[in-house]
Amino acid sequence: MPVRGAGLHRAKCQTMEFVNQFSFRHAVDLLRVLVSRDLKIRYKRSFLGMAWSLLNPLLQLLVFRSVFRFLLPLNIASYTLFLFSGILVWTWFQSSWMGATNCIVENAGLIRQPGFPAAVLPLVTITSNLFHFVLALPVLLAASLLSGHRAGALWMLPLIMAVQFAFTSGVSYLTASLHVRFRDTQHLLGIVLLLGFYLVPIFYSVASVPPRLQPYYRLNPMVHILEAYRAVLLTGGMPAWKPLVSVAALSAVLLCAAVGIFVRSSHAFVEEL
Amino acid sequence: MALAIEARQLGKRFRRYDPHRPWTFQEVVARGWRRGGPEYFWGLREIDLAIEAGTTVGVIGANGAGKSTLLRLLGGIGQPDEGSIKVHGRVSGLLSLGAGFHSDLTGRENVLVTGIIGGLTRAEVEREFDSIVDFAELRDAIDAPLRTYSSGMEMRLAFAVAIHVQSSVLLIDEVLAVGDLAFQRKCLNRILDLKARGVTIVLVSHDAATVATLCEEALWLESGRIVEHGPAPSVVNHYVAMMRARAQQRNEAETLSRTPGDRPPLRTSSGATLEVRRNRFGSLEMELIDVQLLDSYGSPTAEIVPGDCLNVEILYDAPGAIPRPVFGVTITGNGGRVCLDTSTDREDFTLPLIRNRGTISVRFEGLRLPAGLYHVDVGVYQQDWSYAYDYHYNSYPLRMRAEGAGCGAMEAARIIWRHESQDSGSRRLARVR
Repeated sequence: MPVRGAGLHRAKCQTMEFVNQFSFRHAVDLLRVLVSRDLKIRYKRSFLGMAWSLLNPLLQLLVFRSVFRFLLPLNIASYTLFLFSGILVWTWFQSSWMGATNCIVENAGLIRQPGFPAAVLPLVTITSNLFHFVLALPVLLAASLLSGHRAGALWMLPLIMAVQFAFTSGVSYLTASLHVRFRDTQHLLGIVLLLGFYLVPIFYSVASVPPRLQPYYRLNPMVHILEAYRAVLLTGGMPAWKPLVSVAALSAVLLCAAVGIFVRSSHAFVEEL
Repeated sequence: MALAIEARQLGKRFRRYDPHRPWTFQEVVARGWRRGGPEYFWGLREIDLAIEAGTTVGVIGANGAGKSTLLRLLGGIGQPDEGSIKVHGRVSGLLSLGAGFHSDLTGRENVLVTGIIGGLTRAEVEREFDSIVDFAELRDAIDAPLRTYSSGMEMRLAFAVAIHVQSSVLLIDEVLAVGDLAFQRKCLNRILDLKARGVTIVLVSHDAATVATLCEEALWLESGRIVEHGPAPSVVNHYVAMMRARAQQRNEAETLSRTPGDRPPLRTSSGATLEVRRNRFGSLEMELIDVQLLDSYGSPTAEIVPGDCLNVEILYDAPGAIPRPVFGVTITGNGGRVCLDTSTDREDFTLPLIRNRGTISVRFEGLRLPAGLYHVDVGVYQQDWSYAYDYHYNSYPLRMRAEGAGCGAMEAARIIWRHESQDSGSRRLARVR
């Protein structure tokens, strides 16, 4: 029977051996090529190609705007832009998290290659969805400026995106390793995200939430991330510091823990796939 | 010399497949989380290895011996449960070729993706690109989408990429070469090239001949443990001998299980009585209805002198058509010790489809055996030797008279098989030795 203490020592030895083999340059190349492969596959044989990055959110925008203008009017200034920003941010979050959850199971063949860093796979999904987000951003920005909004402090945008990236990665690493063991994780996540859509101020404003429920509502990190985007893109001001920094700190901690759990469980992946 | 691979008391265990183990949250909720202690089995146990850089090691063993598990651990996939393993240098593999391929991308794009997945950096892939395409002989098709490739072209491309990953340790799982004969030779030459350059190669193979020729060392695994680790030719010989002996044991068990419980005893013209499960075994889909030992004049005999001729004449009956049965005649001595052994497949005398009655005979010319009592065992077997149709055991005695000086040899100058089918009236003859 292997001794527990000895087990940890062995695990450390193995990790050390891989640190020697790990090459940052290779990891970057790998990320680059897998993201470009992902994008190429998605668009190679489609009629509209890259235009889909924009069309999808625009179509969603159209539907929601019509509903909330004619059917259930909400009193929100520049509702179209308000809605568009929400949809773009949420789409990046949702498609990344859903896609990344399945990335290990989907790429079983790659995991079996010697020296392949499985940890890069969730990042590939998040990055390729980021691509669509970035493609649509200028449209949002242009529309915002044309409507007479001041879009100041644009340098904050990459920072907010980094925070969202970190948060998405954190939760993705957790569900990706969970999905290998329990194959309905992605399915359950789908339901969670469906509900989550209504728990983030995409098509309504935070102010509409009853004061009693506000503290609980504000526990959702995506609320603050979205508010930060809106502050920069629509009001032209700086986002609220405290919530953003808290979310950033939370994401950092979550990410470290999630990567640790992922790496530890990744040794058993091949057995489960 | 520097060690490329070191393993000390390496062990890896696996969970036994448990159909009740929940694999979705839904099942956990429905069935409850039963902590019913998982059952494990050891895929590898107490493996000690010290392989020097530049050696080519062949890993052989029956299915389930742990060969692929060892290869995976060498590749860093999965962690050992016991002991330690250390591999020095970059590891690459000819494992799951074409894993990164996607049919919508062009060959060029796929090479880039697969090359980087295999361990090269982008710069290295671009540098080796022409060499890869030339090796795969796909210069014309490289910019076409992969879905237009034939499976042979795909395999060639996958192999070409994999073989260009410069590593210190190369792991090969069965697939040593792909494509047509000419391309296979190219693959082998490339591997020999790598050998010459000092790459350590670990090859898992079921082909004992390949291991014997290509590898310096061979590692024989059995149920997760090392049976033998040493110079390739000797380990391979031991392995092959053991496999043959096992196959024989399996055949005997199979024959016994197929022997019917009761049958009326068979009486031959020589006076032998054959009863099932006593001295007669086999499924009896085809029967040997008469066996005679004849001397050189064709008269029945039970005693010969050294140098004499012995004819074993077998009359068979196959009510249903039997494809390519194999006849075997064995002369056994005390305690069933095999003294002389011949069969129609070993002597390359393949029989066609056998139907109805016929005679098959084997003639031992110049038979020499030490003086004593022997038995002639005859049998007809299924074409793969998996079991016997009819086997007569210790039923036909043969005495070898002593003459002159004691004869130590056991041999026959010539062995000739002859087949005469009553069905088609055809005759066939084969002379051996």
